Amino acid sequence: MIGRRGFFGAAAASVAMAKTLSGQVATAATPAQAADAMANLAGLSPRGADGRLMRLATLDLESQQDFTLAFRLLHSKQIRAASISAFERVLEAEGIDPTTPLTADQVRVLAEKDPAINIANKTWLANQQITWKTLHDHFHGNYDHYMSELEAGDKAGPGTLVLSPTMNIPEYTKHEIHIQPGGYVGDPFGGYAYHYGTNSFYISVLGHNEQDQIHKGVVSRLPLPANGKVKRILDMGCGIGQYTVALKERFPDAEVWGLDIGAPMVRYAHMRASRLGNGANFAQKLAEETGFPDNHFDLVTSYIMHHEVPALKTLAIIDEARRVTRPGGIYYPLDFNSGGVKSPGRSMYGRWMDHRWNNEVWSMEYHSVAFNDEIAKRGFTAPAKPVVALPGFGVRHFVRTA
Amino acid sequence: MAAQDPKRPTYATDAIPSDVKNGLFLGNAALDNVVSCVIAMGAELWSTKRRLLVMQAVMAKNGITPEMIEKYVPTEAEKAAWESDRDRFVDLTLGPLADGGFRPVGSNFPKR
Repeated sequence: MIGRRGFFGAAAASVAMAKTLSGQVATAATPAQAADAMANLAGLSPRGADGRLMRLATLDLESQQDFTLAFRLLHSKQIRAASISAFERVLEAEGIDPTTPLTADQVRVLAEKDPAINIANKTWLANQQITWKTLHDHFHGNYDHYMSELEAGDKAGPGTLVLSPTMNIPEYTKHEIHIQPGGYVGDPFGGYAYHYGTNSFYISVLGHNEQDQIHKGVVSRLPLPANGKVKRILDMGCGIGQYTVALKERFPDAEVWGLDIGAPMVRYAHMRASRLGNGANFAQKLAEETGFPDNHFDLVTSYIMHHEVPALKTLAIIDEARRVTRPGGIYYPLDFNSGGVKSPGRSMYGRWMDHRWNNEVWSMEYHSVAFNDEIAKRGFTAPAKPVVALPGFGVRHFVRTA
Repeated sequence: MAAQDPKRPTYATDAIPSDVKNGLFLGNAALDNVVSCVIAMGAELWSTKRRLLVMQAVMAKNGITPEMIEKYVPTEAEKAAWESDRDRFVDLTLGPLADGGFRPVGSNFPKR
């Protein structure tokens, strides 16, 4: 294993990456080792572990998350529907057919006409603010403890961690997506907060994910290259590495890399993977500038990343994916369905609110890109019968053409 | 965020903050703030109720009676700790009353 410390100082990140690629690949944990690691998790939290999720350190914090999760469920089932009905009443009062495609600008003007529309948005955001604030306050209130955890995690294995403390962090990555304080780059404990905070995101849309069920399910459905060879995998925009870890679990003999610009995210990802005995490697890198050699990977993935980057960056990332995917390799950048700057009022209303007030700064740009068409223009071909990795999301099964 | 200790790098950088606390959704900032308080109060109330459920379960297994709870006199250290927790509770649940909602819901992002 190559430790992070070896890459500090004058060593440029690209040099560090090249060193890592020279042949020192972390070994995969055996199932028995993984089971031991899971058991050991219980000893790392004062309150033990629930499977592969360490219990939050205090009962109150766990209960606060329990409440915000329950409110989010209630909201998705009842309150949001009531709000949409109120919005449709405004459409009717304005003489607008609810099926008429509207732009985001048209929607936001209409949304101001009746506060009853926005009680759902206000409560949803207030609930999410409580999720983040309680987590943020806890982790920062125990700064030394969690910083020490991260520092110890930096040195752990079996996987590798590459940080790039001198790299220029692009402005577009600095937004507080999902209104998470500090976003992905600005809070040293952002990985912790994201992990626990997003469990409630999942349960209201896709179901439980406390044991990475959603990530593992998607990974289990990912298609293989025609020759079945998967020796190197790249996961772009990996966040806290739940998807990357699942990839390593499905392909234990493969060299797996998760990249994210957020150092707090990859530090947490690496620490967690190590605790799980998982040999995935993590690096602080941009998806559009991975630094890997041409044709290097058999499988290139991303998990709900593209709606969080500007449209031009999405195109650059696709170009980079083409460069590093070997001919015949698979590219599967999972994300929401995209396309179109207009939608019927009902759907545009939700999309615009998520963009504007959940601070999904780039999501409207994402929807302006015909994502599959752009991938197909850039050296990839969609098979006749593409694999649906996550029902309800965009189908992004592409094969790198020669 | 705590000041960076050069010997203890955080690898974090300055983020671009969202303006969600300035959002005005209900036509009146005071009303927005009250709703924030209600949600926060719900989180705190449920935490308390959930802790009581846990305590009841643990006490029942260890012979602690309700009378013993009623008659308990806290120590000075406990009083101080509980007051600190009370102040945190009040700040979480009622602090949003001080938020300044001035950005109408239909406003676009501010220039950065």
